[in-house]
Amino acid sequence: MNEIIEQYFDLSQMSKHFDEVLDGFVITLELALVAAVLALIWGLILALLRQLPGKGFLPVRFLAIGYIDVFRGVPLLILILLISGSLAFLPLPEALTIPQWLGKPDNFWYGIMALVLVYGAYYAEVYRAGIEAVPSGQTEAARSLGMSHGQAMRNVVVPQAVRKVIAPMLNEFTALLKDTTLVSVIALNEVALVGRDIQSKTFNSSSLTLGAIMFLVIVLPLARLVDRLIARERARTSRGGTPTVMHH
Amino acid sequence: MTEPMLRLAAIHKRFGELEVLRGIELEVAKGEVVCVLGPSGSGKSTLLRCINLLEPPEQGEIFLEGKDICKGPGSPTGEQGWRLDFVRQRVGIVFQQFNLFPHKTALENVTMAPEKVLGRSAEEARANATRLLERVGLGDKLNEYPERLSGGQQQRVAIARALAMDPHVMLFDEVTSALDPELVKEVLDVMRELAEEGMTMIVVTHELGFARDVGDRVVFMDEGAIVEQGPPSQVLDNPREERTKRFLGLVLER
Repeated sequence: MNEIIEQYFDLSQMSKHFDEVLDGFVITLELALVAAVLALIWGLILALLRQLPGKGFLPVRFLAIGYIDVFRGVPLLILILLISGSLAFLPLPEALTIPQWLGKPDNFWYGIMALVLVYGAYYAEVYRAGIEAVPSGQTEAARSLGMSHGQAMRNVVVPQAVRKVIAPMLNEFTALLKDTTLVSVIALNEVALVGRDIQSKTFNSSSLTLGAIMFLVIVLPLARLVDRLIARERARTSRGGTPTVMHH
Repeated sequence: MTEPMLRLAAIHKRFGELEVLRGIELEVAKGEVVCVLGPSGSGKSTLLRCINLLEPPEQGEIFLEGKDICKGPGSPTGEQGWRLDFVRQRVGIVFQQFNLFPHKTALENVTMAPEKVLGRSAEEARANATRLLERVGLGDKLNEYPERLSGGQQQRVAIARALAMDPHVMLFDEVTSALDPELVKEVLDVMRELAEEGMTMIVVTHELGFARDVGDRVVFMDEGAIVEQGPPSQVLDNPREERTKRFLGLVLER
């Protein structure tokens, strides 16, 4: 029992390496937040492309669905390796193949790219569920007031859809946050790599445990927040959040 | 002869195997109020949805102010921008389930389309919407969200929202059927006023009293066809067709 505590919960190890681990966790958070913002935008674009009406847009819908299926199926780790290993050799502008934006190293941006490609596909599915949960009468009302498909989506459908999917979006963010640790394989000094380096020098895992605890500090309040949002949304819809008859 | 506001010629509409409309012929003069009665499934709602091209008909012609709105450039059933604009800005529709935008206040529900579609300024749209909401008796509910309004109030907002586009024709699709009985009158009163001001209206309804008092003409539909039509007193009191008699008997029994 003492060995377990010593190996995983050695407080002196934790306090000694606290600053290093925290620096790593800050990079983890930066990765997760930048990737989440970009994936939210990319996912919405994908979801909207998937919803374009009419025969003319069939190829676009087909491509969007194909993209979403493929990138939800590809392991993130393999994608990270594919991008970091070969992007630099592609005949594209160097700003793209060896990105150094905002003073961040290229492996930071390789990680972002992989995360956005995969989580954009996940988010597109979440948006789709939200869009499909908006009653068709909403689109009909907007269209019969003369709005185009795009205007109806922008002003009526998407604002309602986003409200419905805030909780699942936060769940996806939790998954994304944890998945950023995979970027450690391309030598980015995020929390898992920092913890592993300390582990291999000290033959003690407490710094990795400390990193995991930092995740929990973020993730556990998020989980409670999601519960509250879901309860609130349930109360709204059971009261008639979508147009239903009200009794006064 | 002056061109009618609306003329439907041999309208057919099919959903898969089911033929919902079988050769509808109908003319509506400017300022006329036509009430459409019929059992559920008779095609009344589909008829309205054909007229504003939410469900474009497969066959037949619809003339709105003399313009054939089914024949735009491109495919016969595909949606075409210019004729949709032409139609949807001239034809307003009010739905059974209101379909108000729940994330917008009553006022914003009414200002949205004039701003986004007609490009009116926020002040102009707001002034006009306020006037319309006052006219339907909701001047004190401008900033309420739909979920805080009763069904009757929501439906009156929906009427104001349609009127904000300055339609030439208003379609009403069983607008009181989802309301509690005590809320029906406030909606019908608004429609009555609208009719008195000369609006051209097609009203699908089960309210025989409204059809009798406000309607210039009553049309009885069954199984996708017009069975009988004429002045309210004739169709409601002395129906010629057996099917009309049977339906009226069932409605009056309620």
